Amino acid sequence: MKGQISRRDFLKITRNLSIGLGVADLVPYPIWVDNSIAAIPVSKGYLLVDSKKCQGCMSCMLTCSLVHEGCENLSFSRIQVIQNPFARFSEDITVVQCRQCVSPTCVEVCPTEALKPDPQFGYVRNIDKEACIGCLACVESCPFSPSRALFNFEKEYALKCDLCSDTPFWKEFGGPKGKQACVEVCPVRAIRFSGNIPLQEGDTGYEVNLRKQGWRFLGYTAS
Amino acid sequence: MSGYTGKILRINLNDQKVTSIDTGAYQQWIGGHGMGSAIFYDLVKDKAICGFHPDNIVTIMTSPLSGTLAPGASARTEVQGIGVQSSPIEWFTRSNFGGRFSAMLKYAGWDGIIIEGKAEKPVWIDIRNDSVQIRKARNLWGLDTWQTQDRIWREVCGKSDFKDWIRFDTGGKTTQTTQRPAVLTIGPAGENLSRTACLIHDAGNASGQGGFGGVWGSKNLKAISVIGTGSIQIANAEALVEARIWAQKKYSLNLDSPEDSWFAVFGRRRPQNVFWKRRRKARLQACIGCHLGCKERTDLGLGNESTCQESAFYVEFNKRKHSGKMTNAVHIAADLLQRYGINAYEATRGLEYIRDLHKKGVLGPGKEIECDLPFEKLGDLEFVEKFLKMIAYREGIGDDFAEGFYRAAKRWGRLEEDLKTGLLYYSYWGLPDHGYDPRAEVEWGYGSILGDRDINEHDFNIYLFWGPSIQKWNGLTPKPSAKRLVQIISSKLVPYENNTSMLNFSEDNIYSHPMAKLVAWHRYYTRFWKQSVLYCDHRWPDFMNTRGEDDQGLTGDGEPIFLNAVTGNNFNFSDGMEIGRKIWNLDNAIWTLQGRHRDMVHFSDYIYEIPFGGGVFKSVGWYYLPGKLNGKWDYISVNGRRLDRSKFESFKTKFYELQGWDPKTGWPNRKTLESMGLAHVAEQLSIKNKLGET
Repeated sequence: MKGQISRRDFLKITRNLSIGLGVADLVPYPIWVDNSIAAIPVSKGYLLVDSKKCQGCMSCMLTCSLVHEGCENLSFSRIQVIQNPFARFSEDITVVQCRQCVSPTCVEVCPTEALKPDPQFGYVRNIDKEACIGCLACVESCPFSPSRALFNFEKEYALKCDLCSDTPFWKEFGGPKGKQACVEVCPVRAIRFSGNIPLQEGDTGYEVNLRKQGWRFLGYTAS
Repeated sequence: MSGYTGKILRINLNDQKVTSIDTGAYQQWIGGHGMGSAIFYDLVKDKAICGFHPDNIVTIMTSPLSGTLAPGASARTEVQGIGVQSSPIEWFTRSNFGGRFSAMLKYAGWDGIIIEGKAEKPVWIDIRNDSVQIRKARNLWGLDTWQTQDRIWREVCGKSDFKDWIRFDTGGKTTQTTQRPAVLTIGPAGENLSRTACLIHDAGNASGQGGFGGVWGSKNLKAISVIGTGSIQIANAEALVEARIWAQKKYSLNLDSPEDSWFAVFGRRRPQNVFWKRRRKARLQACIGCHLGCKERTDLGLGNESTCQESAFYVEFNKRKHSGKMTNAVHIAADLLQRYGINAYEATRGLEYIRDLHKKGVLGPGKEIECDLPFEKLGDLEFVEKFLKMIAYREGIGDDFAEGFYRAAKRWGRLEEDLKTGLLYYSYWGLPDHGYDPRAEVEWGYGSILGDRDINEHDFNIYLFWGPSIQKWNGLTPKPSAKRLVQIISSKLVPYENNTSMLNFSEDNIYSHPMAKLVAWHRYYTRFWKQSVLYCDHRWPDFMNTRGEDDQGLTGDGEPIFLNAVTGNNFNFSDGMEIGRKIWNLDNAIWTLQGRHRDMVHFSDYIYEIPFGGGVFKSVGWYYLPGKLNGKWDYISVNGRRLDRSKFESFKTKFYELQGWDPKTGWPNRKTLESMGLAHVAEQLSIKNKLGET
């Protein structure tokens, strides 16, 4: 599918796609959205996860906090791994990450335009900490649970995944054209970067199967 | 103070007083065990009390690396105090566990916890960042460890379904987390003062040895819950990220090319440390920050996070009963160990022991030792459920079992005889043998008897025993050669490096001076790098790694890199070994004050009298270790050995002299202690007439 569509059309199409395909582990199909039509330019990068592959070590969370804030704090991580040690596989782990929404309510509600697509880094939805007034509007408006925008209660500004475009404590070049620290550090490679827009229906499009040969070597099924 | 929060929580259960002490006062010990020993030394005036005495304290310590990205070092928590498991003296001892407790404690703003005294009635401790409350545990006392944790999660987090941010107001500040509180708790075994009782965290992380579950029970302490939303400051965040990614990419398991890691510990090719039949619908499960998990959760929903001995505990009994097939009883048995909070080694060796007594016609219904266990159902679920319940609740003869099977044998008047024959497989200090028998793997046995417990430190065991033995059992010629392996490992044994004789397990070398050096190196390394900095036993040390250049592993360079990145210190490997020596000396001084003398430092009789028949490996194959045969290195079988009493005594003398301790008594000398800045310890020993003379 390739062509120019409005955001409203896009949402309709992806909804239909998700119903039609109904397969959680497909790699997202590339979808074109013309930024001249879209009110907010779409991001050129997305994080996809395989929560069945995740080993629950939270290394992604520790790294996210470290490269962005220079300290270790699970509450500062833009990706969250939530686990119940007593539950059975695969209900025991949920991984949630910012979706870089095509229609980002967090951007729409920000009163100071501190949160906006960053043209320098492929329109990833980024927060200017200096301009953030700490009103929590982005946190509260996020339609997903838990909110993918979060808050640094120590320094009183909002935090959100920027695909590592602004990492004062990591020397690598980040953003859609660079590296993302969580992808780099994940010991089992359960996080992947994609330049294609995932299906926008629920979290379906953001959950992929990354269990290839090595996973079977460990004795686990890839299906 | 990067890497530290700056304060240690001090809770006195006698008067419910909550205070804190400055971490800086103990920072010279870096963290974990070193700090715990020093705090114990300072706070417990009479070290000769028993473990159940209210004046005994329990320290629960983190390290600067806890809660950070350092690989295989973020998750361990070190527990110390006078235990209740060992005999004839209840030694000041240690145990540690993984999961996420230590990390959460740091995020809450605490470098450790000191528990003193005894509460009048059952309590639990509710830590939410700075806020610390001692709360009544009436509604928790009687619950198993999993029920307790679930109840506390709901108590702390309200009606949360843990699918959203949970907000807390502590100290006038709002914070949030998606995480469940980390809870460390006892089960019924601890409540009933079993000497085999553990502390349990999440599904399968246990502080197992020492009987600290019973110690908590005696203090009326049911659980400690901690939720933290604060930050740990890192001196050089960029260096930490870079080192982690470098170490992981260069030395850990590469899932695209797993065969490259055919001989490695840091990145083991088969990372799961479970001994039951594996399931295909499952995931690896790791402690916080670990680069390679060793636990699992499966679609079965049983046996979550259980590893090592919990997973092995009931397998052989079960398979024997079911024609070689394994049933779910093995997973349920592991879950029961976790839920009751029972030490898996006591349960295993104990069950083997009473099975053998039953076979001999000594134990059973109407027998000399009355026991109503249905032995015809041994291997079935019904049997193991009853057996473990008897221990946890001291039901019937379970009252003896709960004392640990060494004390049980004593109660039954069988101790001397069964330690002579080896029917009771308890090699050191009245504690169950790990399976790496002192007659075979002497560094394990010597370390245990010269210390306070089954060391449970696989530093050499994995490389020297498992690596070659598994290959031999499979009919292969072991790689690398014994000569090459000892070259690689000995090159990393700073400050005794490149002395290959230290790794020679031939019979004529196991009582030698180089072997004393190996044991000493092991004591220093583990006391500091593994029990104070808290690198995990499953992933460190990395002596040999087939992904490394020339098969060299990370150890030596790796350990200090992460510590320095976090703390900003300029610490090298040798510095750590020297602190390890100091901690080892402080521990020995404490044991001396508890009543230790070299005369009591000996193994059970069977170690000297009965040839080693392979122990738990006898049905698998011979026990191989590197050794020199006719001047040439090879992997040699050590089956059939027994230790020689007089030669072991001469070994002790060599070891004591190497330590600078009095060989007549095993007590530390003033000069040795003073040279390490422990003059105050020497003074105390002198007052008690326990200072070494030469």
